[in-house]
Amino acid sequence: MTTDAIRMLRSMKLIRAFETTLAAQKNHGFQLLSTGEEAVAVGLCAALTPDDQLLTGGRSIGPALARGVEPTRLMAELLGKESGTNRGKGGRGHLSDPAAGFFGAHAVVGGNLTIAAGVAMAHQLTGKAGIVVILFGDGASGAGALHETMNIAALWKLPLLFVCNNNQLSVSTPRTEALAPKLLSDFAKPFGMPTETVDGMDLDVVVAAARKAAEHVRSGAGPAFIECVSYRFASHSTNARETRGAAELESIRARCPIIAYTAELKLRGLLDDAAEAALDQEAAEAAARAIGFANQSPYPEASEALTDVY
Amino acid sequence: MIYKLSVPVVADDVEEFRVLEWHGVVGDKFEPDGLIVELETHKAVVEVRAGQKGLFRQIFVEDGAWCQINVPLALFSDEPDEALPEAAEGAYDLVVDFDVT
Amino acid sequence: MSIETLAAPTALKRMFYREAIARAMREKMMLDERIIILGQDVGSFGGSYREFDGLFETFGPQRVRDTPVAEAAMIGIGVGAAAAGLRPLVSITYMDFIMLGLDPLVNYGAKVRYKTGGQLTAPVVVKLTAGAKGQGVAHSQCIEAWLMGVPGLRVVAPSTPADSYGLMRTALDCDGPVVFVDHKRLFPIPGDVPVEPTDTPFGKAAILRAGSDVTITTHSFMTRVAMEAATALARDGVSCEVIDLRSLAPLDIETVAASVGRTGALLTLEEGQATCGVGAEVIAQVQTQLGPMPFARVGALPAPVSSNPVLEAACVPDAERVCAAVRQLLRLG
Repeated sequence: MTTDAIRMLRSMKLIRAFETTLAAQKNHGFQLLSTGEEAVAVGLCAALTPDDQLLTGGRSIGPALARGVEPTRLMAELLGKESGTNRGKGGRGHLSDPAAGFFGAHAVVGGNLTIAAGVAMAHQLTGKAGIVVILFGDGASGAGALHETMNIAALWKLPLLFVCNNNQLSVSTPRTEALAPKLLSDFAKPFGMPTETVDGMDLDVVVAAARKAAEHVRSGAGPAFIECVSYRFASHSTNARETRGAAELESIRARCPIIAYTAELKLRGLLDDAAEAALDQEAAEAAARAIGFANQSPYPEASEALTDVY
Repeated sequence: MIYKLSVPVVADDVEEFRVLEWHGVVGDKFEPDGLIVELETHKAVVEVRAGQKGLFRQIFVEDGAWCQINVPLALFSDEPDEALPEAAEGAYDLVVDFDVT
Repeated sequence: MSIETLAAPTALKRMFYREAIARAMREKMMLDERIIILGQDVGSFGGSYREFDGLFETFGPQRVRDTPVAEAAMIGIGVGAAAAGLRPLVSITYMDFIMLGLDPLVNYGAKVRYKTGGQLTAPVVVKLTAGAKGQGVAHSQCIEAWLMGVPGLRVVAPSTPADSYGLMRTALDCDGPVVFVDHKRLFPIPGDVPVEPTDTPFGKAAILRAGSDVTITTHSFMTRVAMEAATALARDGVSCEVIDLRSLAPLDIETVAASVGRTGALLTLEEGQATCGVGAEVIAQVQTQLGPMPFARVGALPAPVSSNPVLEAACVPDAERVCAAVRQLLRLG
């Protein structure tokens, strides 16, 4: 328990430090950050085994780190270096490390849903251990692909876990103006799969929901759907304008999952100030190693433009 | 009377078909509604059923072989000893029903 | 006589187009259990053209799966399953409906090898049936030209049972996504297919008829129109060389250029619209190799192809139109 809790806090701190370091980098590129949403990624990944595969949308960095993708190779990929997970050719929108159980990100909103169902079908047909998890946002939830995928997953009892990270904004559009159901998990109810909506800022709650849903899927009973309601602390992307006012942002940032979980662990006697400082130091060093590695790595040759096309 | 069997256009775009199985050999008699031959088009199996009495006299296209539409597949007659013509095309058409299965 | 011509002739068996495709799938499915089939009505129904006849009975519902009408999901699932190690064939009954699945096919399937730096690839065959046959504006399109330029995608279009067999075998062996284009009007037409298992390579056109006055390049059902036109033109002393492209991506420009080098004139024929069509690409590539020569494109009229028989006939190229185009190209009056 202790090691689980500390490991999860370490993971959240890594995401925060990594993304902060990335954002501070000159020419950091077009990035979507998970600041504020760390508990969703980390809580979900706490429920996964090495045999599972995670697919995501474009907000991939936090989930990839939570899944265990090596920070150095990840940073290199984000900065377009040859030593990156995808040889620098995919970037954040297509991060991929199947050997680490991170099948991949796909930048088309909602585009990875049907793909994930295909991966799940392959697991099912070949008897491969491990479930498939598709992490997507409220922004993808209006897409027809979600409904087609839920239908088939339910019909074929695919080993597929739907995780909707509802950070309540799709660039500038509040989710209540984009999507009709009261809860996004209501989308899944007609298909007969178990559903749950939880507070995505509370790590323990996310872990519990993810474990319960994953267990259902592992049993062969078919898909499940969990919605984690979260807040993103920054704008949609490093290119996008912020739509919320200072007061609103201040109250949102007060709900930081890292601060909350740290306080929780201290309350339980699992963490003290010294241990916290050590974790912060660790995260900072990991982030520094990552950016150092990426900055020292070369770009691919121009001829790489024509490799792996076919 | 000598009769010929050839296949007119029975289904869309059928120009060529396969003879699946003759349900009789030369000399065999058949009654109305008797199954003469099964043919296969690209879409379906077609049962060719007699609309009259007669007997098998000459088969031009064997089981498994291919034939074009409007080309004689076989000759039949009322009586066994009627002389067969040189050109099959001149014969009357055997009265048949084509049942697409 | 050369040694080659003394070689034993290939044993052939006549069969319907649909039987040739089914045979290719059956042979490959026997050898590789990763090959599965997804699509509407492919199971016990055997496919809209019976081109999956018997496969469900042999391989069962796990490997031959009926799907709901949801092309985006079906292609996405096929592509995803391929990336995860299966070798699916996704059947889309009408080529028109590939449009619903273009995102997973193009943005994931055709790009996954590249975007993952070679970690993943999507060996999926997407089988589409193209062509106008009285079914209306949204059930008649030939849009292979939209796909042949997509990097990462291979596109093939057989015109005979032998090639549908051989190209399907090659498609099922391919390590990346392949679009396999049937045509409604090819299904009724039987042809001779090698008895021995035989592959037809991608990127190799076939010269169907040797000629000296003009090269006609074409593919799919239009090869029959081209051959009909060539026969008619021969009666007037015009000798046409007819080339069946078979493979649109990769395109065998070598064979076409060599032919045009002999004939000196190029006419491209397709059932899709000529604007930005297959022919436009063939002409550009041939001229890049040989320099300018007289050329012409024949394609569908620039209009949707209606189910109305008069309008459909007006839109879709026929032998008469091809003959007129050849005469005009060669300035024969």
